[in-house]
Amino acid sequence: MPVDVYGVRHHGPGSARSVREALEARPPDLLLVEGCPELDGIVHLLGEPDMVPPVAGLVYAVDDPRRATFYPLAHFSPEWVAVRWALARGVPVRFLDLPATHAFALEEAGAPPTREAGDPLATLAAAAGYDDAERWWEDAVEQRHDSPAERFDAIREAMASVREADPRPDDDPGVVGNLRREAWMRKVLRAAVKEQPDARTAVVCGAWHAPALVPEEFPPLSHDRPLVTGLPRTKVAAAWTPWTSARLSYASGYGAGVTAPGWYQHLFDHLSGERPDQRDLATTWLVRVARTLREERLDASTAAVVEAARLAETLSIVRGRPSVGLTELDDAAQSVLCEGSRLPLDLVHSRLVVGEELGSVPDSAPVVPLAADLARQQRSLRLKPSASVQEVDLDLRRPAQLDRSVLLHRLAILGVPWGVPADTGRTTGTFKESWRLEWRPELAVDLVEAGVWGTTVAAAASARAADRAEGSADLAELAGLVGACLTADLPDGVTAVLAALDARAAVQHDVPALLHTVEPLARTCRYGDVRGVDTARVRDVLVATAVRACVGLPMACAGLDEESADVMGTAIDGAQRGLALLEDADLDATWHLALERLSAPEHVAGTVAGRATRILLDAGRLARDDVARRMGRRLSVAAPAPQAAAWLEGFLAGDAVLLVHDPALLGLVDRWLSDVEDAVFEDLLPLVRRTFADFSKAERRTIGERVSRLHGGRADDPAPSLDLDLEQATPAVLAVGRLLGWEVARGGAA
Amino acid sequence: MTQVQVDTPAVLREHAEQAYADELAALAAVDDRPRPPSWRLSPWAVATYVLGGRLADGTVITPKYLGQRRLVEVAISSLATDRALLLLGVPGTAKTWLGEHLAAAVSGSSTLVVQGTAGTQEEALRYGWNYARLLAEGPSREALVPGPVMRAMETGAIARVEELTRIPSDVQDALISILSEKTLPIPELDEEVQARPGFNVIATANNRDKGVNELSSALRRRFNTVVLPLPDTLDQEVEIVRTRVTQLGASLELPADLESLSEIQRVVTVMRELRSGVTTDQRTTIKSPSATLSTAEAISVMTNGLALAAHFGDGVVRADDVAAGLLGAVVKDPVQDRLVWQEYLETVVRNRKEWNDLYRACRDLG
Repeated sequence: MPVDVYGVRHHGPGSARSVREALEARPPDLLLVEGCPELDGIVHLLGEPDMVPPVAGLVYAVDDPRRATFYPLAHFSPEWVAVRWALARGVPVRFLDLPATHAFALEEAGAPPTREAGDPLATLAAAAGYDDAERWWEDAVEQRHDSPAERFDAIREAMASVREADPRPDDDPGVVGNLRREAWMRKVLRAAVKEQPDARTAVVCGAWHAPALVPEEFPPLSHDRPLVTGLPRTKVAAAWTPWTSARLSYASGYGAGVTAPGWYQHLFDHLSGERPDQRDLATTWLVRVARTLREERLDASTAAVVEAARLAETLSIVRGRPSVGLTELDDAAQSVLCEGSRLPLDLVHSRLVVGEELGSVPDSAPVVPLAADLARQQRSLRLKPSASVQEVDLDLRRPAQLDRSVLLHRLAILGVPWGVPADTGRTTGTFKESWRLEWRPELAVDLVEAGVWGTTVAAAASARAADRAEGSADLAELAGLVGACLTADLPDGVTAVLAALDARAAVQHDVPALLHTVEPLARTCRYGDVRGVDTARVRDVLVATAVRACVGLPMACAGLDEESADVMGTAIDGAQRGLALLEDADLDATWHLALERLSAPEHVAGTVAGRATRILLDAGRLARDDVARRMGRRLSVAAPAPQAAAWLEGFLAGDAVLLVHDPALLGLVDRWLSDVEDAVFEDLLPLVRRTFADFSKAERRTIGERVSRLHGGRADDPAPSLDLDLEQATPAVLAVGRLLGWEVARGGAA
Repeated sequence: MTQVQVDTPAVLREHAEQAYADELAALAAVDDRPRPPSWRLSPWAVATYVLGGRLADGTVITPKYLGQRRLVEVAISSLATDRALLLLGVPGTAKTWLGEHLAAAVSGSSTLVVQGTAGTQEEALRYGWNYARLLAEGPSREALVPGPVMRAMETGAIARVEELTRIPSDVQDALISILSEKTLPIPELDEEVQARPGFNVIATANNRDKGVNELSSALRRRFNTVVLPLPDTLDQEVEIVRTRVTQLGASLELPADLESLSEIQRVVTVMRELRSGVTTDQRTTIKSPSATLSTAEAISVMTNGLALAAHFGDGVVRADDVAAGLLGAVVKDPVQDRLVWQEYLETVVRNRKEWNDLYRACRDLG
């Protein structure tokens, strides 16, 4: 009954190569791998050609998919290598960890999750002065022992010492959980040995567990039995899901993740080759760095790669390392290839060190929990996916319809655009939503890809929103994201996005960007209530952002050119619309104070000053006389005419009523235009035309009439007289009457 | 804590190899690691000399550079690979300081230095002539006056070129053949000087006034670049200022009370906040002045304050003593910077209760 125990480093390329060698040297008849046995039923899928790492085994509670464990596998994972080896040779593969059905039920009962604590081999490596556990494995394990069996014996001994030095008390939940898991592993091992006493069994497990799984040193059965009997159960399911390189760095069912999957892949590929050379390792890596830099159009000559390789080697000697590691390569690349700057290297990091790989799973694989969760919600909300386009109108005041809206919004955040918001039509109410629904087959793929974010639609959408917020520096996008999270009812997402927004706003110097966040946030505050969302936190962030913008506004508006003045004007308009929704007296006071500082001084760009003056006038903060005085100053002969025209444009901004009803202001405009010199007038004409072109024809005509009356000396005439030509109007009036169902008779209405 | 030098040296500023001769000797005594050709110490010992540590025989080596260890390691490794080293950074990030100590530790001499200015001639990088002899005897080796770089080539030592980007481009390019071929032709004598092993160049350049005489890419390619950052943390920077002010105070014989240097904390905080444009608590954004506000300036503000306190006060550095220095360091542009400084005083300094004295002292200066 020979049992070979291979204690590995999860995601360790060195371990993976040793495991492969060990399996070749002593082919087992049964392979047991760490991981919960629920994966047994789908382990055969790992052998299929369509299964491309990185993928993750996913085990989740059916009733509560948020309770889930991931087992990520990369090309260089020892588990992947071992399972593929066994499947290719028809050797049965089973998993030997504590079943998730018990683990989840225990968690539900209050026991903490029993995940691996840290990376014990990394601890050993750090103790030996390495910051890269893989290089330590290479130097301390691979180079010293020729046979893989010896290597694993050495690891097991080292781990036994590490376990003895474990500072955690015996009743630590982590220790208790670990004991239970190992008791279960021994139970499976005993059963396997009993079943086929003569067969050779190989066990691939985390190095930490290796000392506990040697049959010769098993504790008595009575020690293990109480730990593994009478455990509660819950219903679980298992699936394979595509994974990404970036997510390999997350802590998961296989302990802490790895931070440099791309580098590990390089190590694995390079050292798995024929007669690997340590020196080439650094050179080939630096060549790849140089190529990545060149793809980004940065210079990286071959001579520089040679110099970088020499520097990396010298560095490792100065640091007393036996071989060149990623840190040395990074430092050398930064100093030689990137001229000391960190920025190009960061590019290399995301593309090369982490990698941008996305795995795939065969079509025959069972559905991921996210898809299962969506299917369940689709059933309960009676919203069937259909390949034809459907129009759906939702009344958000009714709970069932609100739930549908929430689901569609969540999917939109998640990048699964099943529904597209459509025009709501005639109504202007905020309680109604229209969607166009179309289930395209690609969406299934999107859904599988979205599976990396979580196991339920809500959790995944929250995680996705938080991730997007993390990566975005654009305040307006973040503000939009807050709104999206609120409509999608994702409190976790809102918290994360608001935190990001708050942090970005604090360091933002760009006042228009700050102003642009006001409107979406205000909209959220104002209408969030329809959806029963708590908007207090949003309001806090909004007030903070608005105040910051107000403080910076006067300074930001000094010396703007025409283009930036337009941008600023639009931003101010947006903020004004937002603040008008809020009706917050304090905030309005601050806002008006800031606008006042734009309106009064002469040096502020015309568009902005005009706009500020108009807002103050509309808010009743400036008397008409003051406005007239300011307009007079702005439109006086001494002011440059283009600036004056810009001021007028900002002041009027598509709204003619003011000019129609205020003869004093109209008079000022009229006088200004008449006094402008001919040469200047020609330059001015397009600018003024632009202002007036926004008005409707009727408005323009009324203004024209008023102006003509100004000159006729009847400026205070209360209303224009109606000189209608009834003869000409009759057919039109009759037609309107017919439409309305009225009787129209000459000489009086019916 | 760093040791305070009590004895006053005979010169105003000693070279690194003189000031730390005992440390270099102690390191050489215990250093049994392989040394590159012509190096006085092994790379490990050079790193220990620069970064500080305690030797096996109990000798304490004071840290010369407080900052990231990896930068110093990259710098030393560059010198060991015979690639020239370019130290880049804003003014006051200890570029010259680090270069001097590296040269002192590697070749035992930091005096082979070319100070780069707009008027630096090619002779400074190559060689000049003793014209009296040249006229009397004609061109000969005796009439030739070697420059620092040529002397370094002949002896296999480290030459330093300060402020490389301030040197006119055509003069800079004289370095290209020296760095790539490691030879310096003397056409007048039909001879050449070939560099001995151990020769290398440490250049410093300022990336604040980039573009003065931008390095050609041919020259740039021959350097390994190490960018020296401003100190990461407040504590680190306070420690640097404390160490340097203490040393300077000793060499200038300023009888100031060294325990009262708590003012350093405030000066460094002001500098860091204005430099980064945000207060230490990350709550308030402030504007940055045009001045660099490097650690070196914090040191000079403190030394100035120390002198004021020692000669005109009771030896304790107080807010009044540093206020004028701070104002001078921050306000380089009389219009813009003054606004920034005023705004900082009113919005940040004023709101800190325990900074009341500093606020009043700065207000009084106007």
